[in-house]
Amino acid sequence: MSEPLLSVNDLRVGFVTEGGLVQAVDGVSFDLAPGEVLAIVGESGSGKSVTAQTIVGLTRSPNTRLDGSIRLGGTELIDADDAQLRRVRGERIAMVFQDPMTSFNPVYRIGNQLVEAIRAHRPEVSETEGRRRAIELLDSVGLSDAERQVNRYPHEFSGGMRQRAMIAMALALEPEVLIADEPTTALDVTIQAQILELLRQLNRERNLATILITHDFGVVAELADRVLVMHDGKIVERGDLDDVFYAAKDAYTRQLLGAVVRLDQAPSLRPSPGAAPLLEVRDLVKHFPVKRGLLFDREVDRVRAVDGVSFSVAQGETLGLVGESGSGKSTLSRTVLQLLAPTSGSVRFEGREIGGLSRRQMRPLRADMQMIFQDPYASLNPRKRIGQIVAEPLRLHRRASGSELRRKVQKLLDRVGLSPAHYDRYPHEFSGGQRQRVGIARALALQPKLIVADEPVSALDVSIRAQITDLLEDLQEELGLTYVFVAHDIGVVRHVSDRIAVMHNGKIVEQGPADQVCEQPSDPYTRALLAAVPVPDPRETRARRGSSAL
Amino acid sequence: MGRFIVRRLLGMVAVLFAVSVLAFLIFNVIPNSDPAQRMAGRNATPQLVASITEEWGFDEPLPQQYLTMMGNILSGDVISYTNRENVDERIVEGVPATFSLCLGAALLWLTFGILFGYLSAVRAGGWLDRVLTVVAVTGISIPVFWLAAVLLNYLSYQAGIFPSGGYVGLTEEPLDWAYHLLLPWLTLAVVQIGFYSRVLRSNMLDAMSEDYVRTARAKGLSERRVMTRHVLRNSLIPIVTLFGLDVGVLLGGTILVEAIFNLNGIGQYAFESLKGLDLPPIMAIVLFGAFFVVLFNALADIAYAYLDPRVKLEDSAQ
Repeated sequence: MSEPLLSVNDLRVGFVTEGGLVQAVDGVSFDLAPGEVLAIVGESGSGKSVTAQTIVGLTRSPNTRLDGSIRLGGTELIDADDAQLRRVRGERIAMVFQDPMTSFNPVYRIGNQLVEAIRAHRPEVSETEGRRRAIELLDSVGLSDAERQVNRYPHEFSGGMRQRAMIAMALALEPEVLIADEPTTALDVTIQAQILELLRQLNRERNLATILITHDFGVVAELADRVLVMHDGKIVERGDLDDVFYAAKDAYTRQLLGAVVRLDQAPSLRPSPGAAPLLEVRDLVKHFPVKRGLLFDREVDRVRAVDGVSFSVAQGETLGLVGESGSGKSTLSRTVLQLLAPTSGSVRFEGREIGGLSRRQMRPLRADMQMIFQDPYASLNPRKRIGQIVAEPLRLHRRASGSELRRKVQKLLDRVGLSPAHYDRYPHEFSGGQRQRVGIARALALQPKLIVADEPVSALDVSIRAQITDLLEDLQEELGLTYVFVAHDIGVVRHVSDRIAVMHNGKIVEQGPADQVCEQPSDPYTRALLAAVPVPDPRETRARRGSSAL
Repeated sequence: MGRFIVRRLLGMVAVLFAVSVLAFLIFNVIPNSDPAQRMAGRNATPQLVASITEEWGFDEPLPQQYLTMMGNILSGDVISYTNRENVDERIVEGVPATFSLCLGAALLWLTFGILFGYLSAVRAGGWLDRVLTVVAVTGISIPVFWLAAVLLNYLSYQAGIFPSGGYVGLTEEPLDWAYHLLLPWLTLAVVQIGFYSRVLRSNMLDAMSEDYVRTARAKGLSERRVMTRHVLRNSLIPIVTLFGLDVGVLLGGTILVEAIFNLNGIGQYAFESLKGLDLPPIMAIVLFGAFFVVLFNALADIAYAYLDPRVKLEDSAQ
């Protein structure tokens, strides 16, 4: 093995907080060889991102306690002064971050931000020369028409374009090490596949040593040579890709790998649901007008968010609605629930037409159709107690009051796996998974018939996801619930759904039984979507790549 | 852009109309505001009052009176009830003093507000931040009339460092102009300096935890460049909107400050007219002030769109 490029030894990072010292990274050691891709895998709070950011000193603050050693080609970085660190950042170690949406400054043109990176280290490079270089870089990461893109602002780029530009910026000074911190987590699966291919290509062509931080074993299998698994600030497993995947020694690693929902594993067969449709949607259309005019607005164009969609969901069934961002799946679920007024088309609930009902007419029906939201952090009012949050629908619909209300709420909390003693706690005292349980308890409060779950697990860690989907399945069995399960992750959707509908550009391009859609997809878009899903199985990934190269 | 200007101009006409109607109605419902009674003097005979009412048209229906007054204001023929001088001419005479006061105070408050806010944010938690916080909160809490009185008493009457008031034209004596205006500028700006520095500080602290600031650091930019080009630049955008709205506060402040420092500008004229319940100048000054408030709000929106490329004027005009 060649001399390590980067060598981290017994790294400890602690943060002084009001509640005492939080040891985020607790004795981490690893080497990175030139041209190698090292994946650091872990769930949120495992310390993987803190480790990565500490390498270039981004976690430094008066409240940070650093210990150990970080050597880059013989230079110690842990106690380097600011000027030394600045010379390393961007020049020798470059970073790509998770969310390309927020990682560019919105007020400067993409090109200027690239030029700024170059000129921070090469002040002798002129603006014109820097601009020429920026165009070359954008071109080299596969942005077409780079000449024009260089003058555009970040908000004019799509997520995938922004992440390409971010990688171009990281490459600007030809660094030796690239740290990619969840580089594809915020991207759609088809875009993710493109970015992963770009990273692989860079690693191959430039022999660029890469540290890949991720929570997704599928991404690891696609890209990594070696894997570290982190848990609670420590490395619990390390080894070559195949060793970790097929011969993990550590129990936590095995648990993590076991929790990954795989697209190619068929879910347990469930009894076929009754035939009576609970929800029938026919030719549903939701257009948003684009208005312009000097004094009075005329409609000049329309955004066809939902463009003629039909489906039905039977009593007790789960319909999975899959699509990438912008496919119209969230608009569709809101229009079905009449939270948005449909432009045209029909929505029948228990045989009754509810499209175009007024708010007042809808109110008694609201109890029968509830929603679970994506972000358990944003969808619970931080100033209300858990008990109040779950009780609110019961109070609004005057179903219970006083001690009876409290008893009902405590029963609900118990039902979703929380302790009734949590009644008086606030949302911030809970983890993401527990909060999502609160959201589910709130949705169940009125004993609904239909629950629309909009990305209910995508903000959660892998090991928590399985718990929440299991809970939803148990509740369905017990209470005879009907679900519309909206998600971008076709793996999760397949796991929970009886039937799947795939959305693309406001239309359902394919629908059918879950197994059939996933195994014999008839629509080209569905096939592309399925092919883009990274498989958490290195052997299969290699086989796939080999066959596509032929 | 064209659409934006047309919409804003129409909006401005609507605002000016609403403001003038409101001022006119308020004046007509307050007790003892009958202008004929006031013009006739304390021991007037009913005949005199009647003849004044007749002569000035106070017996006409209110809408008619309103239209007559608006016509007079816009054509420059409007006459004060109390001293019969031409109101528009008086306002024009007051423009240099009032504009000097507003311009200087605004410059002072923006400069020091931004400077203090920036230093506070960069040194957040340190001793400089604490000192500036105390200064800012003190500035916000000081009542303007009290500050003016204290400044006048100590710095002018007792120490004799500053003149006690009055306005000297900029073109006549530039140094004397600034010398006479320094205390009024300070009085008008102090509250806003405190307020703006607090707002900017909190904007900057929010911006510091943005992902793009981390990106800027990861690029290897110097700390100063990260702070100015990325943190400060983005935090100033909301300050522009705030300033557009605060033009009204600025103009309102001139009433008090000009009266105390005897600057003889439009603010002081407004103060005197309010004391005498003199409707024509009140109406004219309200329109004059409202015009600038609306104008500066439109300018702030244009500046906002320029500073933040994500904002399009077409959208913000709706």
